Amino acid sequence: MNVSIDGAPAGAGSATPGARPTGPAGSTRRDLARGLRACALAAALAPALTALRRPPSRAAANAPHDSGFDVTHRGRRIQGVRLPARGAAEDVRWHVTVDGRPLHLMRRADGTWLSMVDHYCSYPTPLDAARAAVDALGPGRGLRAAPVPAAGEGHHPHEEGRHGVRA
Amino acid sequence: MAYVRKDAATLTRAEKRRFVNALLEVKRRGEYDELVRLHIAYNSADGERGLRTAHMAPSFLPWHRRLLLELEGALRRVDSSVTLPYWDWTRDRTTTSAPWTADLMGGNGRRSDGRVTTGPFAHREGNWPIRVGVTDEGFLTRDLGRHRDPIGLPTKSDLDRALKDPAYDVAPWDSTVTRGFRNKLEGWGTGRGSVSWRNHNRVHRWVGGVMLGAAAVNDPVFWLHHAFVDLQWYRWQRRHRGAAYAPATPPRRGDDQHGRVVARHERLPPWDVTPGELEDVGRIYRYA
Repeated sequence: MNVSIDGAPAGAGSATPGARPTGPAGSTRRDLARGLRACALAAALAPALTALRRPPSRAAANAPHDSGFDVTHRGRRIQGVRLPARGAAEDVRWHVTVDGRPLHLMRRADGTWLSMVDHYCSYPTPLDAARAAVDALGPGRGLRAAPVPAAGEGHHPHEEGRHGVRA
Repeated sequence: MAYVRKDAATLTRAEKRRFVNALLEVKRRGEYDELVRLHIAYNSADGERGLRTAHMAPSFLPWHRRLLLELEGALRRVDSSVTLPYWDWTRDRTTTSAPWTADLMGGNGRRSDGRVTTGPFAHREGNWPIRVGVTDEGFLTRDLGRHRDPIGLPTKSDLDRALKDPAYDVAPWDSTVTRGFRNKLEGWGTGRGSVSWRNHNRVHRWVGGVMLGAAAVNDPVFWLHHAFVDLQWYRWQRRHRGAAYAPATPPRRGDDQHGRVVARHERLPPWDVTPGELEDVGRIYRYA
């Protein structure tokens, strides 16, 4: 349930990470469209990401104006791209991955960030939250690759509120 | 007649065995993983729009009370003698005390990858595969006390600071409120790092591994922890006679929290029950 390219949590807000991917038959046209958009955006962002590839520097990476980060922490690659807001109701969205796998971040009302991996405390920046998630993973554990909508989808209460993360 | 939830440290050998066996059977039937999914799905944070029910909200306590009844019902369909035990983390505070014994929750995870290797939920037993989760390892993980940067469990006085607050919760009913029993117990503090994780949140942090994430339900100690949290609600009610769940009525249109929290007599998704109806469950169970 990353904050995905189009702002909806991957899996259309009803996704529960975890159940094994069901393969192409389980994909929907919407998923496919989202995937294509994600690929297109990734391609567009590739030069920017390359430019951002630099030694880990907490001060620089945490600067509030940062449009993204690409750092290695405990041997894990953490990448984040700040996405433009889609309206007045939100002003910051991030797409963050650990070793290429999406890490869903959530925003607290005080402006701090938490992740699905480290869910009971929060951190000043998306990068801090991602680093904390990597710390919690330790060696030998990784994020699940492809969360798919799980049983129980459709009763999700947050449908209308889950389109992105607002500041 | 109401059944009794007991302190995990006081269970007899037979009680522990029956509780563990019922858990394994509920897991085998697939009912357990549905509850893991449910907890993951209700992960909304208060910096996002939309209704919050499970966390960072006044309904943190009734939502988890109802979730516990869900599992307890499943356990009791397997074995009607079983009830949820609670872990009193103000008393049992080490990595080898109750409930971390081989006949109940099993012990700490190993240093290399956090894998739990002892007790009935150890990977090698083959009875506790992690199928629904945020991470990919497939086995139960723990890091009791966080070995890399040790932290302690909350103390009795930490808990008492929450219990003595006469207000159940206060506006804006989220993780930023510094008054109110609910958030002091849920444990969203101000400031950075270790000092900002209190009570309920701090215990999740102390156990670590899967208990740290949105899929915390995968560790069966989740239920023992939350039964103790649930017991605090009962204790708070007894200490503050007449005090009730808040908000009593929904925040009005124009209030930033309008449509984002569940008031006392509103339905608490995903169940057809209100927080008010869950305030007194004395006819269902009581705590020893």
